[in-house]
Amino acid sequence: MKKRILIANRSEIAIRIIRAAHKLGMVAVVFKSDREPEAMYLRFADEIIYTKDSSNEKAIFLDSQRIVQLAVEHNIDLIHPGYGFLSENPEFAQLCEDNGLNFVGPSPQLIRDMGLKTVAKSMAIEAGLPLVPGSDGPVRDAQVAKEFADKIGYPVILKASAGGGGRGMRIVEKPETIERNFKSASDEALAAFGNGDMFIEKYLQNPKHLEFQILGDKHGNVVHLGERECSLQRKHQKIMEEAPSASVTPQMRQEMGDMAVRFAKAIGYFSAGTIEFIMDEDGSYYFMEMNTRIQVEHPVTEQVTDVDLVDWQIRVALGEVLTLKQEEIKINGWAIEVRVNTEDPQNRFSPQTGLIDLIKFPEGEYIRIETGAENGSVVTPYFDSMIAKIIVTGNDRQDCIAKTFEALSNFNLNGLKTTVPFCRAVLQHPAFVDASYTTRWVDSVFNIEMLENEDEEIIASLAATIMYAQEYLQLSSDIPSYKSDRLNVWVLNKRLNY
Amino acid sequence: MGTSYLYNRDASRLFIAVRDNGKRHKLFIPKESKPAIDGVELDINFVEQEDFHYTFEWKGKSFHCELVSRDQNKAIVKVNGVEYKYSIESIFSYVRRGMINSDANKIDENNINAPMPGKIVELFLSEGDLVNEGEAILTLEAMKMQNEITATCNGVIRKIKVQPGQSVMKDELLVEIQSIEV
Repeated sequence: MKKRILIANRSEIAIRIIRAAHKLGMVAVVFKSDREPEAMYLRFADEIIYTKDSSNEKAIFLDSQRIVQLAVEHNIDLIHPGYGFLSENPEFAQLCEDNGLNFVGPSPQLIRDMGLKTVAKSMAIEAGLPLVPGSDGPVRDAQVAKEFADKIGYPVILKASAGGGGRGMRIVEKPETIERNFKSASDEALAAFGNGDMFIEKYLQNPKHLEFQILGDKHGNVVHLGERECSLQRKHQKIMEEAPSASVTPQMRQEMGDMAVRFAKAIGYFSAGTIEFIMDEDGSYYFMEMNTRIQVEHPVTEQVTDVDLVDWQIRVALGEVLTLKQEEIKINGWAIEVRVNTEDPQNRFSPQTGLIDLIKFPEGEYIRIETGAENGSVVTPYFDSMIAKIIVTGNDRQDCIAKTFEALSNFNLNGLKTTVPFCRAVLQHPAFVDASYTTRWVDSVFNIEMLENEDEEIIASLAATIMYAQEYLQLSSDIPSYKSDRLNVWVLNKRLNY
Repeated sequence: MGTSYLYNRDASRLFIAVRDNGKRHKLFIPKESKPAIDGVELDINFVEQEDFHYTFEWKGKSFHCELVSRDQNKAIVKVNGVEYKYSIESIFSYVRRGMINSDANKIDENNINAPMPGKIVELFLSEGDLVNEGEAILTLEAMKMQNEITATCNGVIRKIKVQPGQSVMKDELLVEIQSIEV
């Protein structure tokens, strides 16, 4: 009997998982949401479960009860949650387990622990991972805060323990202002949240975001597959990733990789997972958190290690022994992933919804496309704005940057704006080329003029002028007659070899 | 504008594209040759079109254009994913709107007056033609010598005040030229 896997997700990741399922000879089942009844991923599945979305607020992908109920009715063996939605929801994983469904991911307890930052951090300390220096609990008063800051060095960040949305938060650059800032932040937090307790932590001004991919089985075997750098972010969300990172030396890779494996083993982790680090300008790094799902950017790791992560994720869920050996895992070449989000980089990355008239991806043996959209797809406001990923592999970083730039030049989407021109601008920026870019790049360096290019500006003036000229020159007698359809000027100009 | 006018002197094919940031391009769209932009004929090829999308090739690269919106003479065009906002003026509307910095003195400067008394032999251009700076407009015969009178700016011939065979006095106005320096 073929195993039946239900993919509780949509778009490109659903297609990616279907591919892995087929490689393993499984029957791939997906949900058809009435929010996108003609979605591309549906065509790739072996079976489709038709279902009404649970409510206006809740798509099927967020409804644990319904998913599990339908899975049982359809004789499902495994449930793959993908990323987002319920992928890191311990109650969902528990519900699967309680109903005899194999959840493709770690145990509910591990998901719960890693989801609670304080728990994850204390487990990291136990495993000997470095954490950003800070107070273990609330500091009593401004004087204690100052003593603490003097010890760990400036700048520091003061955070209200009940805080959020930037309230009760202060970045303090020098000792003279810490007492004043402590008092105002504490008062602010007290007024806003009814709790004036303050934490203090070292503030990293220009950090890099690094993460290590790990794979573990249910028999205690864990390996790491090197790092990814995901420092390029807007609104605290990643937009372009690369593997490996130019800021990680082979020695650091081994150190951090060992640390990641040690941590995973210490907590008894299995499945695919990611251990995130934040790195300071001086090269010191600190544990941030662990993600217990397959990540959007997993393909860059697959490209440079030649390991199929989704395949392994499913196999270890079935109880298979991880036969990959750490010493066999080698990093070859370089990979960059560009997220194609329907967002307008010329207007603060505001989301774009509507019809994709035409989408044309670059082609080439070093180009990998993961897409959930095609010609005629509709981008709805119900789901996130990422419609595709363009992953490019090169011999080295420089080669990869050049190839990625070329690939993006051959991408075309009509109907909506995307983040592709933004990524193209990034690839040309000196801070990306020399790999010095940090998570602050978008806020502190990027401006919309970087998206423009002189040649394109000239072409735009030509296109606009020809459109206008068509009507204008219509009055002129030396133009062959044509219908008053504005498109016909193009036919005309083509005829004129223009 | 270089020599590009010579393909076609029709001033109705000359346009000014003004970007929302104030940047301007002068475009000459000839009937049977490549466009000249800011005085240079460019080897731009029109490759394909489909509805409101068109592709140009230039410098070995593809440029995907999409008309995003159009309102009178204002257009938003998306090229390779980035939007550019332009308003387009014909050279005549541009002049009429006074968008060319042309005070009265400047107009006089550009007009052609007879440098010496003599007789008009030949006119090379007509009213409404585009003319390049330094290009001959007419020949004036004086003291048995033929003198080519040239334009002092890139512009449009607004008015020709003389005819071949006509005798003129020194400093007499021969041709009015509207500068199109933008």
